[in-house]
Amino acid sequence: MIKVSGLVKSFTQGKNITEVLKDVDLKIEEGEFVAIMGPSGSGKSTLLQLLGGLDSPTNGKIEVGGKAISEMSENQRTIFRRKNIGIIFQNYQLLNNLTVEENIAFPLYADGTLDKEKMKEVKELIQAVGLNELNKKQANLLSGGQQQRVAIARSLVNQPNVLLADEPTGNLDRSKAEEILLLLTQFHKKNNQTIIMVTHDIFAAGFADKIILFKDGTIEQIISREDENYAQYLANFMA
Amino acid sequence: MLNIWRISWRNITRKKKRFVLTLLAIIMGTSFITAMLIADRTTKDVFDYYEEMYTGNADFWILSDEHTYPEEIINTVQNHQNVDETFTALDKQTFLDLPGEYSDSQLAVRITGVDNQNSNLLKLPVVEGELDNEGLVIPETVADLLHVDVGDTLSFREMGEVKISAIVEYTQLLSSPGSWERAASSSFRMMAPLDLLQERAELNGEISYIRLSTLGNDEKLFRDIQEELSDSRAFIQPVVADDRQSNDVEGLYTFFYLIAILTMFISGFIVFNMIYTGVIERKKEFAIMKSLGYGQISISRLILMEVSFIAMIGTIIGVPIGIWLGDLFMMTLLGIFEYDMVYSLNWIMPTVISLAAGVIFPVLFSMFPIYSAGKTSILENLKMGANTSSNEKVHWIRYVIGFGLLLFFFIDSPVSYISLILSVVMLSPLFLKIFSMLIKPIILLCMGHPGRMAISNLRKQLYRNANTATLLSVGIAVILLLGALSDAAPENYANQIKSNYGGDVRLTAEKPWSASDLDKINDKEFVESSTLLTEATPITWINKDMHLRQFSIMGVDQNSLYYDDFNYTSFENNDTLSIILGERAFREWGGKIGEDIFVHTPAGTKPFEVIDVAATSHYSGYVAFMDEEQLNHQFGWENSFDLLIHLDENTTEESVRNALWSEFGGFLSKMIFVEEEIASTTSAFEGMNELIQFMLVLVILLASVGTANTLIMNTFERTSEIGTMRALGFTRLQVKTMVLVEGFLIGLAGVLGGLITGLCLLVVASNSTLIGDFVTVYLPVESIILTVTAGILLSLIASWISSSAASKIDIQSSLKEG
Repeated sequence: MIKVSGLVKSFTQGKNITEVLKDVDLKIEEGEFVAIMGPSGSGKSTLLQLLGGLDSPTNGKIEVGGKAISEMSENQRTIFRRKNIGIIFQNYQLLNNLTVEENIAFPLYADGTLDKEKMKEVKELIQAVGLNELNKKQANLLSGGQQQRVAIARSLVNQPNVLLADEPTGNLDRSKAEEILLLLTQFHKKNNQTIIMVTHDIFAAGFADKIILFKDGTIEQIISREDENYAQYLANFMA
Repeated sequence: MLNIWRISWRNITRKKKRFVLTLLAIIMGTSFITAMLIADRTTKDVFDYYEEMYTGNADFWILSDEHTYPEEIINTVQNHQNVDETFTALDKQTFLDLPGEYSDSQLAVRITGVDNQNSNLLKLPVVEGELDNEGLVIPETVADLLHVDVGDTLSFREMGEVKISAIVEYTQLLSSPGSWERAASSSFRMMAPLDLLQERAELNGEISYIRLSTLGNDEKLFRDIQEELSDSRAFIQPVVADDRQSNDVEGLYTFFYLIAILTMFISGFIVFNMIYTGVIERKKEFAIMKSLGYGQISISRLILMEVSFIAMIGTIIGVPIGIWLGDLFMMTLLGIFEYDMVYSLNWIMPTVISLAAGVIFPVLFSMFPIYSAGKTSILENLKMGANTSSNEKVHWIRYVIGFGLLLFFFIDSPVSYISLILSVVMLSPLFLKIFSMLIKPIILLCMGHPGRMAISNLRKQLYRNANTATLLSVGIAVILLLGALSDAAPENYANQIKSNYGGDVRLTAEKPWSASDLDKINDKEFVESSTLLTEATPITWINKDMHLRQFSIMGVDQNSLYYDDFNYTSFENNDTLSIILGERAFREWGGKIGEDIFVHTPAGTKPFEVIDVAATSHYSGYVAFMDEEQLNHQFGWENSFDLLIHLDENTTEESVRNALWSEFGGFLSKMIFVEEEIASTTSAFEGMNELIQFMLVLVILLASVGTANTLIMNTFERTSEIGTMRALGFTRLQVKTMVLVEGFLIGLAGVLGGLITGLCLLVVASNSTLIGDFVTVYLPVESIILTVTAGILLSLIASWISSSAASKIDIQSSLKEG
């Protein structure tokens, strides 16, 4: 379970202080697929980064799987992240001089836990994302869709409890986006991982169980797929 | 105009650390060039100064192969209408009469009596007192050693007391030992009025030589005097400013230029790296400028301006540092020599040259990036953005050329050294690739994943990293070669001196050795055998550039003990006038074996066929050998002032010294044991070694600036990648380790490459006919330890800057960049 309470994040530039997140409270149950939507600058990506321990909050508390990551040091957060959290980025963020296989295994290398058993799992993941024939190819030689598949496999390699995806289909066309989202859903169902996805795309958000709508650093609304007025709420918000 | 400079300043300082490192490289490069140019010119000045001081303004001198000759012989000479001024001298060997426990050899003193201490043909730089033609003139080193001052008196055995009237700084004419240890093997030199010396030594009317300056028409005067003296034992020789017999410093000048070129090359590469990366990063900016109407030339001019700007700043700071460094270098360098030499820094011309070079060399090294900036394609760059990754495609042509150049390894030519260095440059990416492959298991074992990433990064920017390692390699290789030469030289010199010194001790007398003297010596228990050494000196000759030079000619026969290194039968088989030259004399002459060398003899200038070149330690090879009979016949040189003695094995040096000085001290001027000759020849190398090691550390330091520069660029280009690694769970420490390992590997590759290249250069040198005899393939252990330690440590320090910066990269902003 992910629990956020009284979360504040502000940035200082000279004498100006900009509050990006304003007293956010949020609870996401284990195994939920949540999409976060909202206009640019609403604080959704900042929330994702804080949940991933990439940054520390100005105020408030973040608990992931019962661990208060907001109280951890940077080093502790890094180690926690590589063991428990997988991250998918909009622009894939692959390491270009590494092969597909090396990119996917990177978190295990960093953790020093890569052994024969884990390597077998890496190969299974490569197969699962459909890149079996490209596993020795260098990452920068792949297409956008293939690169995002590598990024997904990489985010799953350490079998994280939580998967954070920042605009995972933002750079892809509709058909490729759909392939990626189906892949994500497939893994979600198989592993029962918590997925939190930031997106601008209502089509992508449609794959989630719950949508959190963000505005001006606060949660405007949380809509569940089971809600009667799900479609109406969404249309109104986006409008 | 001001605006463009301001824009340039903003551009070059945009990346602060890179700017500082590049500036540092230019400063170091310019200061080294300045220092080496100053060292070169000042050293030449110093030797010219002392040479001129020795020769004065004299054009000719008349001497004889006897110790002295009657003054009346030259009475007619002085009356020649073309003779401007004369200066007459008499040398006399005696002993100081000092209280205390000193041996005769330590008290030996050679007094030169001169008719006019203020003569224009004599240059005496007075430190204290005045040249009054009444008292004694002594060098400063002797005054310090004897604790005497102007006005004090010095006492001499059988010659009484003489008051000191002047103390002078070092001159060759009065070069004296500065310590009692040195005094045991060489005499003190002092100057007294001629008449006083003639009277006290009971040599009235006798002189050793006369020097004269002319009013012109030297050739006629020379011929006339030669004719006038034809019936006497005296002969005339031109005065030639050539002290190559006592100084072997030509190698030093090569050393200076080698260091200057090396530092310029390393600095230039650092500048190239900085400018080239800057240009690649700013391609988009140039594309926008071009789309707004800027032309190719305008953009190239902008970069040229930026390079010139940073070069000017570097030069303005570097040149004064270079002048200071040059002064420091000269102090160290002249400290190596046993005499207390003074120098005045020749800095004006070197400063002018350095100011020009400091601005020109960074511009020259940046020509490609400057051109490349102008050639920026608008469409490609606006569409794709800057592409900073290097092309990893294997450049087989480069490797083929590299391997081709390696073939020069088997060719005996000076070009081989340059070819080998060029092949190192060409093959360095391949070397780094193989090196990283071989070292990978060790790095993985010791450093884990950061090590794996470091190796991967090393290959990503293979060419840049390889070039950086090459800088270090070339620097180390060249300095190691110099170090090995300097290290091995003393032993080689010692072996050579031992093999052709001709005995265990050489005695030089101020009068020819007589048959009775020889009998007395041969009767001594400690003498196994003795042989006379006939040495005609100074003999002047003309080199191929038509310059006058002077050396000694040694007479040899079948029984000579010192002709091991050449074939005496060459003389026997030759009916013409023939001569064998020492190696340095042969080089200075500039001709080929079989050609004639023109030598001044008492009967005029004569051609002598050069029949061989001898590797000899006598006068460091600046000498010639001639059949003794021919020497007697052509030069009328019948007397021998030198005697070589082979000693009994059980004899001590001290007992021989004391016995010989006490019996022959009245006319003995020098007694040099072979060990002393070896020590004196090789002592300079110890100082040179320290200097070379100092240069080695400086070159490694400069190369480390290059490493720091490269790593900063590598890190900067990988900001997004490092951010991703951090996001995926790489800790700060792992990032830091990764960059440190990169630096370590570049440093290690550079050091190993340098050691291998240095060894190859050494093998080439040892096989060369030119210097092969003086080079053995030898590992200079001290220099190697210093190289490995300094190379790796400085590379680690250099990578520390980048590793700290990399570990502090902000994850969010770096991800946004990606």
